[in-house]
Amino acid sequence: MMPFLDIRNIKKSYGGTVAVQDVNLTVGRGEFITFLGPSGSGKSTTLYVIAGFLDPTEGDVLLQGKSLLSVPSHKRNIGMVFQRYTLFPHLTVAENVAFPLRVRRMPAVDIQAKVAEMIRLARLEKVQDRLPSQLSGGQQQRVALARALVYNPPVLLMDEPLSALDKKLREEIQFEIKRIHQETGVTILYVTHDQEESLRLSDRIAVFSQGRIDQIGTSTELYQNPATQFVAGFVGNSDFLSCRIDRVDGHHAQIVLPNGAVVGGVRSHGSVKAGAAGTLMLRPERVRIRACTGEGSDTGMAVTVRDITFLGDNTHFSVETDWKQSMAIRVPFGRTGAEGLAVGGRARIDWVAEDAHVFDSVAQV
Amino acid sequence: MTSVSIVERGGGPPQRRRRRGGGFSYVLPALVLLLIVFVLPVLLLLLRSVTEPELGLQNYRELVESATYGRVFLNTFLVSSVVTAITVLVGFPIAWLLVILPKRWADLLFGIIILSMWTNLLARTYAWMVLLQRTGVINKTLIGLGIIDEPLTLVNNLVGVTIGMTYIMLPFIILPLVTTMRGIEPDLLRAAALCGAGRLDAFRRVLLPLSLPGIAAGGLMTFVMSLGYFVTPSLLGGTSNMMAAELIAQLIQSLLNWGMGGAAAFALLVLTLALYALQLRLFRRTQAGRA
Amino acid sequence: MLLDFHRLGGLKWVLVGIGLFVAAFLLLPILFTVALSFGSSQWLVFPPPSWTLRWYEELFADSRWIDSTLTSLQCAVLVTILSVSLGLLASFGLVRGSFPGREAIRAMFLMPMIMPVIVVAVALYAFFLRLGLGGTLFGFVLAHTVIALPLAITSICNALERFDKSIEDAAVLCGANPWEAKLRITLPAIREGLFGAAVFAFLTSWDEVVIAIFMASPTLQTLPVHIWGTLRQDLTPVVAAASTLLLLFTLALMLVAAWFRGRTK
Repeated sequence: MMPFLDIRNIKKSYGGTVAVQDVNLTVGRGEFITFLGPSGSGKSTTLYVIAGFLDPTEGDVLLQGKSLLSVPSHKRNIGMVFQRYTLFPHLTVAENVAFPLRVRRMPAVDIQAKVAEMIRLARLEKVQDRLPSQLSGGQQQRVALARALVYNPPVLLMDEPLSALDKKLREEIQFEIKRIHQETGVTILYVTHDQEESLRLSDRIAVFSQGRIDQIGTSTELYQNPATQFVAGFVGNSDFLSCRIDRVDGHHAQIVLPNGAVVGGVRSHGSVKAGAAGTLMLRPERVRIRACTGEGSDTGMAVTVRDITFLGDNTHFSVETDWKQSMAIRVPFGRTGAEGLAVGGRARIDWVAEDAHVFDSVAQV
Repeated sequence: MTSVSIVERGGGPPQRRRRRGGGFSYVLPALVLLLIVFVLPVLLLLLRSVTEPELGLQNYRELVESATYGRVFLNTFLVSSVVTAITVLVGFPIAWLLVILPKRWADLLFGIIILSMWTNLLARTYAWMVLLQRTGVINKTLIGLGIIDEPLTLVNNLVGVTIGMTYIMLPFIILPLVTTMRGIEPDLLRAAALCGAGRLDAFRRVLLPLSLPGIAAGGLMTFVMSLGYFVTPSLLGGTSNMMAAELIAQLIQSLLNWGMGGAAAFALLVLTLALYALQLRLFRRTQAGRA
Repeated sequence: MLLDFHRLGGLKWVLVGIGLFVAAFLLLPILFTVALSFGSSQWLVFPPPSWTLRWYEELFADSRWIDSTLTSLQCAVLVTILSVSLGLLASFGLVRGSFPGREAIRAMFLMPMIMPVIVVAVALYAFFLRLGLGGTLFGFVLAHTVIALPLAITSICNALERFDKSIEDAAVLCGANPWEAKLRITLPAIREGLFGAAVFAFLTSWDEVVIAIFMASPTLQTLPVHIWGTLRQDLTPVVAAASTLLLLFTLALMLVAAWFRGRTK
């Protein structure tokens, strides 16, 4: 089946510097996809290519099988919400929403009806005659959303639309966006650097790093099975320990920690090679911790407790390995085994082999 | 836990209360100078306009009724309007270009504008006097190209004045316009494009309305400055087509008619201030609309 | 996207075309003058039949050119000192003070800038005639200071408003007395505004013609008055030579300004 939106091998470079490369992504109709990554990772560049603000150096963007590249922005029929609202300051809320229809030379009666519908959808009835400068940040972003959707674009692009809002308002609008997505069924590409936002909103997440997509998948896939160390660090919290790879066997590896401990059955990712340096990744909530009862007789690895913070539903332990790497461990409230631990004391940690991942050591981002 | 945290409300350091009447002594020296060397002389001139040759408004009556003076003010308005129109039409694309050009080229163009603005006014006017002569480069070039047969009279008339004044006023409209246009978010025009607006729609419905405050401010300033301009009209203009400032100078310097000169000066002054007040109101309105 | 240079399409070349035309319009008369100043033709034939330094020799041989330049320099320097110091004091009062009528006084300081120069010129002409100040350097300096002051005050006020007063307060808390704090902390912080004020004040006086024409006497003339007088008689190439030197001076000033901006940033 032909994909709805097909982003093929996009590359954009300026002179010698490459902003994005090898970006491949197929999007189904009605999907909500976030581009997640730190600033400068190429996610906005990709969005700008789709919007037609930038011409890619290589690659193609196809919407329902037709290339968009030769279509100028104003004929692409794509909706977009920008980071800083970008409402027309000289037009009222209703005029802003009517703008796309006016430039499409739609009859005035139809414009009025359509605008009223959008104003209702975005819940802007009370402020429709105000100028953008008289609105709060949240209201402005809702107007921007209404303006971007009023002409029923098949695709809606959102470029960090909530980064200028405070946390509470952000959550409120995230909820609105989800509701509007469900009501309109529009396909959304959403750029953000906030992992929580991407987990909350989207069907699938494309994680960008240094101009490439590291991994595309659902939030659970990314969390359970990160493809790169970068994804592991960016999606959810992680502990990283340096190690050396002893043996690779298909998708599993045996590694040696700096204290000489040999750990087998670790899931390996990327081009992990025997004999090379690697990085062991663990999720803080998958690590078990308990007090030392006596030297030598315990299983697991000995660590020193540096800090204990009670956070209500869980307790956060900061521990240090014998080779001075620090780790975070979260113990859910009510789980036994961690009683009796004290700051400065010794403890033992262990984990289920399947929960450990090893990556080839790349420069940490 | 029983510790009490104190949350500071409102944030920021407390505003130091200002002493009433504080700071006036700092202003005093400049104020005294201004009152003695500016306010007083202007008031005295105004006084002369209603006392010479005798007490009354006869000078102002003559100013309004006389066809000669009427023509001078008409000339002044005509030249100022044409200069304003040309500078707006040319200045707008230049300001636009300055905002979007890659930095190196924008800096170069800016440098040329500042250079022309800071070069001595008389030096610039001299250049035009020479260029526009009957035997000057412009006439010679036009004849050489076969566009005209006889040299055009480009100097000692309002054509020369208009060219010279356009040259001088152009920077004054470009600079405020650049400030206004820099304030326009480029994303607004990207948004307009994605909304479906082609170039013409984006220009007509977004770029132009948002540049309008700058056009109004710069245009009005050019108009007001042109109204009272003296140097260029006297050097490039003819004796038969005087402008207001020349009239005032002539009335006082050559004819020693202080009463009439004062009246004309005062008329120009009131006109200028009224236009500035208008500009200030327009500016406040657009500011209020944005704030 | 009308504000993306590279996405303007054909319109880009229209704008660039207008830009080139205007750059030429602004630059050519200046370059033309430079060329004429080295041209041998008394009658300003262009392109000049041959090149000469004759007009520069005539310029430097004529004591009226030298004297008027010195008068102008003297006057401009005095105006600069006077307007920057008065402007600095007034700006402190206007920005930090809270006396009644502060806004009105601030607006009043801008009046000489708004008003047509010809009105100021005739008003001062009459006034100075009565006081016997016409044709004196003191008269020139007073008159030019009045019209330079608005520019100086605007420039310094802007700088002072951008400066965070609590830094000065911090210096006082560190033990500096209020004057020391102003001198060591505030003045260096607003030096760009002070420099701008000085440049504007200098240029205002240096370039001013209208008031100067009314104030000048046959024995005391500024450079613009002398050029004016010469221009009214004939279009001698000596004026082109003088213009060229003035242009060099402007260029030097621009370089100093650029250097200063580069240093403070």
